[in-house]
Amino acid sequence: MSTPAVTRAPAAPAPLAPFVGLSTLWVQITGTWCNLECRHCINASGPRAPWLKPLDGETIRRAIREAEDLGVKEIYFTGGEPFLHGEILPLLERALHVAPTTVLTNGTLIGPEQADALAGLAARAPYSLEIRVSLDDPDRARNDAIRGEGAWAKAVEAVRRLRERGLLPIVTATEITAAAHPGPGTMHGRFRDFLRAQGVERPRLKIMPVFALGRQPASGEVPLTEEDLVGFDRSILQCADGRVVAAGGIYACPILAGLPGARLSRGSLAESFRPAPLYHPACATCHRTGMTCRNS
Amino acid sequence: MRDVPPDGDDVPEQLGEYRRIAVLGGVYSNAPALEATLADARARGVEAVFCLGDMGGFGPHPDRVFPLLREHGVLAIQGNYDESLASGRTDCGCGYTDPRDNHYAAISYRYTFEGTSTENKAWLGALPRHRRLKLGPHRVLMCHGSPRVINEFLWESATPNGLLRHLMERAEADLMLCTHTGIKWHRALPDARHAINVGVIGRPENDGRPNVWYTVLTAGPDLTVEFVPVHYDHETLAREMEREGLPPEFAETIRTGWWTTCLENLPARERARGKY
Repeated sequence: MSTPAVTRAPAAPAPLAPFVGLSTLWVQITGTWCNLECRHCINASGPRAPWLKPLDGETIRRAIREAEDLGVKEIYFTGGEPFLHGEILPLLERALHVAPTTVLTNGTLIGPEQADALAGLAARAPYSLEIRVSLDDPDRARNDAIRGEGAWAKAVEAVRRLRERGLLPIVTATEITAAAHPGPGTMHGRFRDFLRAQGVERPRLKIMPVFALGRQPASGEVPLTEEDLVGFDRSILQCADGRVVAAGGIYACPILAGLPGARLSRGSLAESFRPAPLYHPACATCHRTGMTCRNS
Repeated sequence: MRDVPPDGDDVPEQLGEYRRIAVLGGVYSNAPALEATLADARARGVEAVFCLGDMGGFGPHPDRVFPLLREHGVLAIQGNYDESLASGRTDCGCGYTDPRDNHYAAISYRYTFEGTSTENKAWLGALPRHRRLKLGPHRVLMCHGSPRVINEFLWESATPNGLLRHLMERAEADLMLCTHTGIKWHRALPDARHAINVGVIGRPENDGRPNVWYTVLTAGPDLTVEFVPVHYDHETLAREMEREGLPPEFAETIRTGWWTTCLENLPARERARGKY
């Protein structure tokens, strides 16, 4: 897998997002190493030769220590598939000692032992453990057409296992199959009904737009200009108060982790505390939709 | 939406000095609960009553709470709902993404906007966003959501000690008081600082009981923090909400103590304690 093409630089310098303080630390724990190969994956993760390497445990522990000193509010683990990392459970435990922590997973590796371990972590931790399980459609065939054969059954089983242990996973979907559902009703409504039918009494959902990067073909989105941002409060963008530790350094946002244009430091977190260039078409998607990769 | 720093122009320079105060949050147009809270606080001999904002939303007859706040000399700061009403925004600034939550938030905001007089909106617009005072030896900072963002949620299970230390060091405060989430908590930090979410008096706190909560703080060799339950005629309030055409889900919350809407921002631990 080669690095996704970097968008051609616009003629004018990219507008900047201010940095207002570290609220969110993202850990790209497995880089782009994943056991699935989803059709729309934003960083083209997959099982073979990840273009973005996994992180070693010490790099992550160092980033968590630094983030704690800087007053971080929440920590997220993403990839790739975080549960492929041999140290995922001790690293989650370490993070939960510092701040509420979320892990973004496809759910396919959460068997009974892993679910027991997560329930134990959640019970011992001073802060909330959030588990986001990706599912792109309540319908098995539509989901597996995007995420691969068998992905639906394993993810739904993971949600069931977590629920049985008193955990409330957040089912996370992109809008990739929204067009396949014409007529009344919302994605939230469809997923809520589906989860209730699975016995989930308190369904929790996160719906994300589709980003035209990674494996998803380019859309008409073009990079932002200063003119686009007149009157817009740039401090609400997630690159204004979040940073990502990934192979190669510290990046401005989880969508662009690993891309040279989004790298703000090769060293410490504190060195990345400067304005981030809004250079990528994905920045325009963020601006247009008001989305955040955070839980809320 | 990001606040000015807490040492900015909107913080009075002259610090009031107190020994015993009552602090309430989130009135949400619940006039009977406000009346009961003020009577209870008076009976406990507090020197002053403070309100951390969000006077409207959720309950009926929004204008009813303002005479009570003014007549009783409640020292208030602005919440995100107050800011939205005062500035004529078209929504409450609650930031929901679930269309169901937005549906209920929009009903509540439209009703409250239409039922709040121009004079009261102007009063809300003139409120400071923070207050500082001395409570015995403690330097107190009051805010609505957090010292840095008016609508930031500081839930007990999602607010790390490192963040609290960072916020209070920046604010030069030993005691930080906030509301906004609707559920009270108190954290004594290892460095003797305290962070307290004072709860809300506008609706119960998702525990299956219909009472609401406010907080009494007393200075001494050690700080004493009392969370005080307030029982009021919630059935009459629920009937008024129904008469006003507010959603039955809102009245259900008032009667049962369980939150029925706008649940998406709750962290896992707080959500797991609720019914929905």
